[in-house]
Amino acid sequence: MSLLEVNDLKTYFRTDDGIVKAVDGVNFSVEKGQTLAIVGESGCGKSVTCLTMMGLNAKRNTITTGEVLFRDENLLTIGQSKLRGIRGNDIAMIFQDPMTSLNPVYKIGVQLVEAVRLHQDVTKSQARKRSVDLLKAVGIPRAERRIDDYPHQFSGGMRQRVMIAMALVNDPDLLIADEPTTALDVTTQAQILNLMNKLQEDFGSAIVIITHDLGVVAETADEVVVMYAGRVAEKGTVDAIFTRPHHPYTWGLLGSLPRLDADIERLVQITGQPPSLLNPPKGCRFHPRCPYVMDVCKTTEPPLRPVSDDSDHLQACHLDEETKDREAQKLLAGTLAEAG
Amino acid sequence: MPGQELLVVEDLKKHFPITQGIIFQKQIASVKAVDGVSFTVREGETLGVVGESGCGKSTMARCIMRLLEPTAGQITFEGRDITTLSRADMRPIRRELMMIFQDPYASLNARKRVGFIIAEALEVHKLGTAAEIKRRVQELLEVVGLNPEHYNRFPFEFSGGQRQRIGVARALAVNPKLIVCDEPVSALDVSVQAQILNLLKDLQRDFGLTYVFIAHDLNVVRHISDRVMVMYLGKVAELASRTELYAGPKHPYTGALLSAVPIPDPELGRQRKPVVLEGDVPNPINPPAGCNFHPRCPRFREGHCDVEDPPLYPFGDGHVAACHYPLERWPMSAEEMQRAGEPAVAN
Repeated sequence: MSLLEVNDLKTYFRTDDGIVKAVDGVNFSVEKGQTLAIVGESGCGKSVTCLTMMGLNAKRNTITTGEVLFRDENLLTIGQSKLRGIRGNDIAMIFQDPMTSLNPVYKIGVQLVEAVRLHQDVTKSQARKRSVDLLKAVGIPRAERRIDDYPHQFSGGMRQRVMIAMALVNDPDLLIADEPTTALDVTTQAQILNLMNKLQEDFGSAIVIITHDLGVVAETADEVVVMYAGRVAEKGTVDAIFTRPHHPYTWGLLGSLPRLDADIERLVQITGQPPSLLNPPKGCRFHPRCPYVMDVCKTTEPPLRPVSDDSDHLQACHLDEETKDREAQKLLAGTLAEAG
Repeated sequence: MPGQELLVVEDLKKHFPITQGIIFQKQIASVKAVDGVSFTVREGETLGVVGESGCGKSTMARCIMRLLEPTAGQITFEGRDITTLSRADMRPIRRELMMIFQDPYASLNARKRVGFIIAEALEVHKLGTAAEIKRRVQELLEVVGLNPEHYNRFPFEFSGGQRQRIGVARALAVNPKLIVCDEPVSALDVSVQAQILNLLKDLQRDFGLTYVFIAHDLNVVRHISDRVMVMYLGKVAELASRTELYAGPKHPYTGALLSAVPIPDPELGRQRKPVVLEGDVPNPINPPAGCNFHPRCPRFREGHCDVEDPPLYPFGDGHVAACHYPLERWPMSAEEMQRAGEPAVAN
């Protein structure tokens, strides 16, 4: 039994222009102590997936189907009050933007103590002590004094650390981090990633990290889910995704990355824009941007199926495996001709 | 490839005053956003500028563009001192000196059509009749990879990457020599970022452009630059050719930055032990004495680094670094970095 299992999750939004299929059939599972990374461009449904898991989508005009099993309980049907007991306690979330995710009119201590007292039957001073300990754990200097500061008195990196402290205050079993380092400088990013790794070692929590930075993925994740236009394009262990990617979209993502460890004169670019989720392209959703497009791609949606000799590595592409292996090797050797 | 010196910046300073009092405002302190920066940019090359947020990169860019008045120092463009030119005298030079801004959402006037946004500079400089300008704008849209028929659309009808292309077209309109790019790809997705980076490279090749390219992403800077300048707290920490800087950094700050960049390769990533810098960038109102990096530096030597401000020591081939105890080799582990070797020598 996995800690978290997401089965055929669909989140549709009703809008004036029609139904936006933001998440359209996503499956994955996370084990205890594991890190799962969800990668993809803006608007591919990464964040909506996580918000849906936490039950944080506005109820009106949202259609959600599928299952989100957390310790075999379906979070989608469990009901608000029970969900509230799990949220922030067993499952915690770190939001993307540290500048806007903290309430600016309350001292951070008040916000931390609130999180503790909501879920634990402790006195204010105990909760405060716990908060100070966590601020120290995330590396805030002079935590006893800084706890009475307002969010604006902290820098971006420190606010993000406060957010992490708040997420960890109840020792969650599952931590969902939505682009936790995107707004930060590399040095701060290194501090935060170190911290998350250390906390995972100490508490054995599972982490779902959403990011578009493949460098961060390579460094933190055990499993990777590549999402495109609301669907899973490829899924596998971090080694499989980086050494034997089997989807042209993953190639595009890997190729478009300027890297410190390789000299590439010209980046591979994925031409065009991500499709509108109001009416996504027929067949494979990636086909209008795919340099390897075939006739079958325009009519039939490729199923998510395992790579022949690696049953954990799933991909949704019609290309034959031989071609894929060849192209993947070419890409990794840095010789892939410019896509498109 | 690089030719004549196009832009020479000498000891540029920009201090923002902090005042107190309602009627009689007196200056009580100043934020030293840029504090003595010197460099040259040659024709046809790209100078990359990296540093953490708050290190003065953008302020420096705005000073070069004369969007901010420098407190001290000299900016020479094409052999002419432009530091104190009046607005009227500056106007013809503005044709040669353009800027691409960071945020493609905020830097385009939402109430104007794309055609107008791109044509505005042409109209200001009276470059052609209305018909000629329109033709030029459509040509520019095509150059940056947009549909010329989108001339009459509003910015909100475009995606982030397309808007940044509009920003590039606007900068190109008057055939500038130098384009200052202030974090042009930071707000974009990797795939779109690759499109813009390729576009900038193509334009440089086709039109012989010179770029000052500001970014905080070291991968991006490495990809596009010929030479790279690392800034820390308003000062130059290190300046070198791209290959030198990434293969053999001398300043511990550059080393720490490089080691902090995640590598998109799980195998290498696991072996990597980043040098994690503690703390945050200090307050530029009250920068630390001596070397401004000393409170976070792994090679800090008491009595030297916190007393004497290191000059830019030369390391050959135009490679300079402001550190008393430069790194001997690269890569280095955190422990090795702490063992400071021989002090640098000025000559």
